[in-house]
Amino acid sequence: MKSFLKDKSNNYTYDTLLENINNANSYYQTYKTDVLYDFFLNFIISLLSEKPIVLIDFDINENEINEFEIFGLNISYNVTLKKYNDFNEIINDILKSKSEVTIFTSGTTGQPKKVTHTIQSLSRAVRISEKHKENIWGFAYNPTHMAGIQVFLQSFLNMNLIVNLFGSNRNDVYSAINEFNITHISATPTFYRLLLPFEKVFSSLQRITFGGEKSDNKLYESIIRIFPNAKINNIYASTEAGTLFSTQGEYFKIHNDIVDKIKIIDDELLIHYSLLGHSDSLKITDEYYNTGDLIEWVNLEEKTFKFKSRKNELINVGGYKINPIEVENYILEIEGIVQAMVYGKSNSVLGNILCADVKLIENCLLTENEIRSQLISKIQDFKVPRRIKFVDSFSLTRTGKIKRL
Amino acid sequence: MEEKVFEIINYIRKNKGLNLLQEIKPSDNLRDVIEFTSFDLAELTVRIEDEFDIDIFEDGLVSTIGEIFEKLS
Repeated sequence: MKSFLKDKSNNYTYDTLLENINNANSYYQTYKTDVLYDFFLNFIISLLSEKPIVLIDFDINENEINEFEIFGLNISYNVTLKKYNDFNEIINDILKSKSEVTIFTSGTTGQPKKVTHTIQSLSRAVRISEKHKENIWGFAYNPTHMAGIQVFLQSFLNMNLIVNLFGSNRNDVYSAINEFNITHISATPTFYRLLLPFEKVFSSLQRITFGGEKSDNKLYESIIRIFPNAKINNIYASTEAGTLFSTQGEYFKIHNDIVDKIKIIDDELLIHYSLLGHSDSLKITDEYYNTGDLIEWVNLEEKTFKFKSRKNELINVGGYKINPIEVENYILEIEGIVQAMVYGKSNSVLGNILCADVKLIENCLLTENEIRSQLISKIQDFKVPRRIKFVDSFSLTRTGKIKRL
Repeated sequence: MEEKVFEIINYIRKNKGLNLLQEIKPSDNLRDVIEFTSFDLAELTVRIEDEFDIDIFEDGLVSTIGEIFEKLS
């Protein structure tokens, strides 16, 4: 009996999954659950019934639900599915599905962006073949985000075993690798950083993929020591476009199938709208979307490049992109605060850590702890600044904007 | 120094809504015993760096309280 998912002490087989799919008569369009199996099952049912689905984090709170204009949370809708004999039929139907999959990302203006994808755009980078059938995946991303969806589709559409590692601690990750002989992991540099320092070799890993944030050579070297049999690559995927590039050797490469849909202007990466999901909040100029990612050509003829930095001010904290303006707006809602500046400070664990400087009204006795607990009731934990400093004044840039560090 | 680290750890725990620890031991694991996530560990590095000017995670992970003491001594 082939296993589909190992999640802590729970084991779900493909037989159970098939049975649950065949017994399904309803699904949730917007489902808030921290049970990974339930989340995957609901996702599969929505795809097979060609119904729309909105993916939200399990720790999203009331306030954000209103802000994101999310309706119908955990309300079930009836569906009628055909009876499936095996997963070949299911996989074929999923690849042809007309479902619309909606996910969220931080916007640059302070408003979250909502992007709707087809399963065809989400599965663009998925490779299905005999060669992939025996892969065993460590699942290390948030399942509602683009990277998590990519890993889920790659593993499920090849009927691989998925081992949930998201949020696991170092010891649990290593024991899962040992116990299940995990062959593939795709994760943020923060995830890999938490596996350091080197203690012993794990030989089952064949492929290690880095994504989500910039990483450094020192980290690669340590990871290669731990997983000497693994090939290492990097992937560039975004909420707006799904997976677009991966590295060949050290650098990213623009492949021929999308080369006419990518432009570089003033070092900024522009993507043709045909590669994007649908969103009312994406600004398209002359058919192209400005990603805000700045690149540098390594070899123009071979179309290889590397990422330099970001044009806009989203702060990457352990793979989560945070808009400082959004967080500042929430801080300013707190009584007693007159001015706030949110910025990222370089950090050896998360890449960046979110910090805030705030100015209080005179005689206000607000503490860091009070500010944080008020924020936690309004926004997801990763958006709450981890260090809040009280200041009397802010340094301004020459254009009069508050200077970000 | 050990007293300061103890203070910082309890400060972070308090901000998370966890109860304050009565003591810390060198063998305490930061994740299992102190109950820190990667975000808490990041906060810990910043606060220790503010105090001692040393990035305890610079060369990879420290797992226990004792390893922090070693880095700082």
